[in-house]
Amino acid sequence: MTGSHESPLPPDEFDQWLDAQLAALPLFEPSLNFSDRVMASVRVPDPFAIRSIRTARRRLFATPKSVALAACLALLVVGSMAASVVWTLANRDTMFAFGGWLASEAGQWAWVGVRGAALTLMEQPWFAGFRGLLDEPGRLALASAFGTMVYVTGVLALRRLLTAPAPTQRVAHANW
Amino acid sequence: MRRPELAVRTDQEIVALARSGEEAAYRELVRRYERPLFSLLYRMVRDRELAEDLAQETFVKALNAIESYRPEYKFSSWIFKIANNAAIDHLRRRELDTLSLEGSPHAETPEAIEATALQIGDRQESPLDEVEARELGGEIEAAIAKLRPEYRSCILLRHVEGRAYEEIAEILGLPLGTVKTYIHRARNELRRELAHLRP
Repeated sequence: MTGSHESPLPPDEFDQWLDAQLAALPLFEPSLNFSDRVMASVRVPDPFAIRSIRTARRRLFATPKSVALAACLALLVVGSMAASVVWTLANRDTMFAFGGWLASEAGQWAWVGVRGAALTLMEQPWFAGFRGLLDEPGRLALASAFGTMVYVTGVLALRRLLTAPAPTQRVAHANW
Repeated sequence: MRRPELAVRTDQEIVALARSGEEAAYRELVRRYERPLFSLLYRMVRDRELAEDLAQETFVKALNAIESYRPEYKFSSWIFKIANNAAIDHLRRRELDTLSLEGSPHAETPEAIEATALQIGDRQESPLDEVEARELGGEIEAAIAKLRPEYRSCILLRHVEGRAYEEIAEILGLPLGTVKTYIHRARNELRRELAHLRP
């Protein structure tokens, strides 16, 4: 700072001149696409989700009656969950016994299902011929190889179909 | 995407619309504050590109946190506070990174001082530098640039942006008395620096 200069004007007039000079300083403009660059980095919330939440909140707290109803429902849900936890902790033996019974029942039903499916298959008119075809080990191996080949070909074809083709040429004026 | 009817709404109304997910409201906030914020930052850091980066950082930070903005305060104070913090942070970082241009402080002879000094006289001016030199080349701008960053923020917010002392105190997070002192000292320094100018 140069402290040696003396102001050519009395302090009041100089202050007024300085104020005018400072107030007259122009505002500068950023580059043309500035707002677009800003907006590209801003996360605008989804209006539908916000409206849905706000509507639900507004309806819930619209009247004392709706608030009471919501509170009752919440209490019912939380209360029943708490009661269920407490009962389970107090009756662990019953729960273990029930779990064991449920597992054995499920196993039995699964076995019945498998048997039923096998019997249905064996009752089909083409089953005997098919079984005869696979009686010899050579034919079985051939059929297995054929089946495997069909499976692998299918997987490869599907993979090829699902893979998007790579772009071969650029589109004019597109921002790549 | 811009909606002209938003131009007549208050900042608080625009913020409420932005919070409800209206992209046009975000754009309106950017439109309203891009010039004042950019001007403040440009005068603080005196580098167009950097000022634009800091302005962008300010907007992104503010708009992504719009839910945390409390409507009882002025939106302008909030966004200017974010911008000023960005500028002051940058200036402090730059101060730490700055090398002495005048030679090593440990050099004892004139030859040693000259040998350790950085030579920057040959630097070519880019077109952007020329624009900056033209824009910030006035005597007033040069005098403002010589002020301490805290004084500079105060004087720019008070006399260029026309903000009240209370709002400046809120923006800078300083007591009101300190803001008044800073502005008084800044004006004294400007008076000394510009004394040779005759209107």
